[in-house]
Amino acid sequence: MRKVCMAGMVLMISLLARAQHPGYSAMKDEAAFKAQFKETSRKINTIQSDFIQEKNLSLLDDKITSRGKFWFRKENAVRMEYTSPFQYLMVVNGTDVYIRDSQKENRLSSRSNKLFQQINRIMIDCVNGNALESKDFTVKLFSGANDHLAELTPVEKNLKTMFRSINIIIDKKDLSVSRVEMYESSGDNTIIRFVNRQMNVNLADALFAVR
Amino acid sequence: MRYLLFVSLWLGIGCTSAYKGVRSTPVDHCITSFKPQFSRIIYSTQVDVVGRHLSGLLIIKAMPDSSIRMLFANEAGFKFFDFGFSGDAFTVYHITEQMNRRSVIKTLRKDFELILMQHIRQSPSVIKKDDGFYYDFAKGKDHYYYITDSACTKLQRMERGSRRKKIAEAYLGAYTNNMPDTIGIRHFNFNFTIALKQLEEDAAE
Repeated sequence: MRKVCMAGMVLMISLLARAQHPGYSAMKDEAAFKAQFKETSRKINTIQSDFIQEKNLSLLDDKITSRGKFWFRKENAVRMEYTSPFQYLMVVNGTDVYIRDSQKENRLSSRSNKLFQQINRIMIDCVNGNALESKDFTVKLFSGANDHLAELTPVEKNLKTMFRSINIIIDKKDLSVSRVEMYESSGDNTIIRFVNRQMNVNLADALFAVR
Repeated sequence: MRYLLFVSLWLGIGCTSAYKGVRSTPVDHCITSFKPQFSRIIYSTQVDVVGRHLSGLLIIKAMPDSSIRMLFANEAGFKFFDFGFSGDAFTVYHITEQMNRRSVIKTLRKDFELILMQHIRQSPSVIKKDDGFYYDFAKGKDHYYYITDSACTKLQRMERGSRRKKIAEAYLGAYTNNMPDTIGIRHFNFNFTIALKQLEEDAAE
């Protein structure tokens, strides 16, 4: 009888996981995946990629799509350059941040702004995989046919006001992050897809210059 | 005596109303024809406020209940505010903690109500001045002025303030599909400007 109950519970959990993330079920061996993912991330020193960002707002019937280029260099340097339909550049190098929009450029330190610091941290941790170990989130892992899904639910107060959850989609082929989905409490969300990803290419220092 | 005259002259100049002129009795008006008909539009947005610069996207959308939603987010998708306007009603659907100040919300509300022309009613009073005709729509102590040429064929600018003092002015650019392609708002009591330019979205999207 106990075995039947256990089997029923496993089935229920599995069905719930599928309902939560269609096409995915709860990951069977989380420890093995985490170790493998950590090892793969350790070997990635740089990433160069194009990205497509979709903003889904409940008030709009359609989505707002923007595109650009993305660069990452260990440990904590990121350059995101939006090229369409607007020009916007954000470079994060350690605690220094450089922003250039169509009119002005701005240099600031994320040290002076806790919120900015947290957003930077999330962005970098999502790319290098450290988010799976972050104390700011509880993490649930799921597996699909072609990729894994890490569902991050914020536990930290400020993050909770910003995000209901963040999903990191990890390609099974090379364990690279192919998509980041950020869900707000309102139901609005931002999805960033990384395409044409290249790992460990040489990246010029100038890409991450903030001074 | 001469000193008194001097002082009273200066006081007189100091108290001169920005809206002094020949004020008519309430009239029928033409301002409604300039009211933008926002359906769905995205503006690339630049905000400069007391030395700080902010950019992002301002989305204006007419909702099925005929209210207007106005949402401002940065380029990366981080939402700053989401407001709703319906007649005299105003709803804050979302505002980021840093902007959640009564004075900030009140200023933004009035600025956007000016450009949305939320307070135009029947029979405004009209002030005739050298630079145009000022159609004055009062809402409590606030006055919303729409300035046209003498024939009311062109909306030159918008202003808001009291009966004496100008607080802010706004300009609307050329209309496409009844929506302005650019909007500018400038404040006179502190350093605050908003510049909007219609975003040309990818046709494929």
